[in-house]
Amino acid sequence: MRKVIGTAAIVMIGFLYVPIVAVVAYSFNASPVSYRWDGLTLDWYAALLQDAPLLAALRTSLLLGVLAGAIATAIGFLSAYALHRFPIRGKGVLLAAVAVPLVVPEIVIGVALLRTFSTVGLQNGLLTLVLGHIVIALPMATFVLLGAMRALDPSVHEAASDLGAGVLGTFWRVTLPILRPAILAAFLLSFTTSFSNIAISTFTAGVGTTTLPIRIYSSVRTGLTPELNALGSLMVVLTLVVILVVGVGQMRRILAGSAPGSTP
Amino acid sequence: MTTIETRDRPRRTTWQGYLLVAPAVAVIVLLVVVPTVIVARESFAIPDPLGGTLGGFTLDNYATLLDPVYLKTIGYSLGMAAANAVVCLVVGYVVATWIAAARPERQPLLLLLVIIPFWTDFLVRTFAWINILGSGGIVVTALRAVGIQAESFVPSQGAVVLSLLYAFLPVAVFPIYASLRSIDPSLPEAATDLGCSWWQTQRRVILPLAAPGIAAAVMLTFVPTLGVFVIPVLLGGGLDPLVGNLIVTLFTEFRNQALGSAMAMVVLVLMLASVAIAGIAMRIAASRRSSS
Repeated sequence: MRKVIGTAAIVMIGFLYVPIVAVVAYSFNASPVSYRWDGLTLDWYAALLQDAPLLAALRTSLLLGVLAGAIATAIGFLSAYALHRFPIRGKGVLLAAVAVPLVVPEIVIGVALLRTFSTVGLQNGLLTLVLGHIVIALPMATFVLLGAMRALDPSVHEAASDLGAGVLGTFWRVTLPILRPAILAAFLLSFTTSFSNIAISTFTAGVGTTTLPIRIYSSVRTGLTPELNALGSLMVVLTLVVILVVGVGQMRRILAGSAPGSTP
Repeated sequence: MTTIETRDRPRRTTWQGYLLVAPAVAVIVLLVVVPTVIVARESFAIPDPLGGTLGGFTLDNYATLLDPVYLKTIGYSLGMAAANAVVCLVVGYVVATWIAAARPERQPLLLLLVIIPFWTDFLVRTFAWINILGSGGIVVTALRAVGIQAESFVPSQGAVVLSLLYAFLPVAVFPIYASLRSIDPSLPEAATDLGCSWWQTQRRVILPLAAPGIAAAVMLTFVPTLGVFVIPVLLGGGLDPLVGNLIVTLFTEFRNQALGSAMAMVVLVLMLASVAIAGIAMRIAASRRSSS
């Protein structure tokens, strides 16, 4: 039985990589149709660089990801720090409240935000996108940072205050430097959460602020092209880069401490 | 004693803590709670022909959802979500069992292998299947090579099911793995020593102890499936919409915000129900454990 489980598990993990390998392989296919293999080419990557609407969407998504990621990381850091170091009542409730966007289907949040923004007279654009993306990136940032803080040795803080450092001094000179890798991890994971989001963006994007996923979605609806495979390959590489930058050690802690990121 | 405490630890007052969580609370309240309340309100409002609402109070929107067209979509979505949850659960259990049984130092690497595809862009992961299942894809080519006539598997319901499994499998693996890992390994050993077969050990020892993780896995796969709208369009040709597609269509194409809000509330209620059921299941499992 053990062997059967092992084989099945390996097959399933392999299955997870089949589509990714296919995207990368077809992005190098010289033939514009997938049923013929005409040899290797980089033409589709060159075509990407000529696609102005796509590049505009990419710029929007990058800006959006940086803004939403940074704000979510900052807010997540403050709340994780408060939950970890301060005597606050109702910690369980607060944690549950932060986790709400992980459980509520994103489409419901998207619809709700659309209604709210139009109620207060806010026109859809970069601002509404950023606000929507903060909501979904916040749980990610908070839980990553909370996990990192809990893994810290509390005696480090005690030593600092024994040596005469005040609350702020301890924070700036001890806590923050130790947590720097975790902060980077929280930011990059928030960034990717924002960068790949489509459900919330569908409802909060304005006319001039099409994000990359929205652009890809409308392109694939009319037909999958090798150019889209090339774009997909670059996004696969982006994911791998993020994971490498975050680092395996940091990743290990995140995997041990929290559920994986957003649901589609 | 108290004097030592205040000297050893930097003084931290409660209000400072509240000040630090205030931004997060503001985000949750202003961008999740208030919007949800507004949608709940809208779902009872009278729609105007221009796409807005006229206020007032009516149950017509919910009555409209009882129309066979909508009921069919809701029923189909529930069936699809349940099927996806079951498949993800079974496959996720197998993968989680295997990872939990691996050497401890190898486990994080195996988890990373599961999560890399999950962190790959959702749309890329979805359209990737068109390469494989579409006309001229690997599957069709392979089938033709062995003499079976095939055209394309996209769009089809099978492609939707496969793609849903692919999208949600990692979400199922993680909670199950977490609960499997917290099981004392001497328990299954003892069961085996006492003569339990592999199946009996699974059924009578491991499954009850892993119940919380299993409940979480079902919850995290069942509800989000209802909100998916990309997969049915790209891989199902839009022929069999899920609730998610209906919400998008009602808002963006039909411009009927009241009806779209009612539909969103239905999804929200289903989500709350499944959270409640998962909670009850966990409590039952916990009380069984303490009584046995």
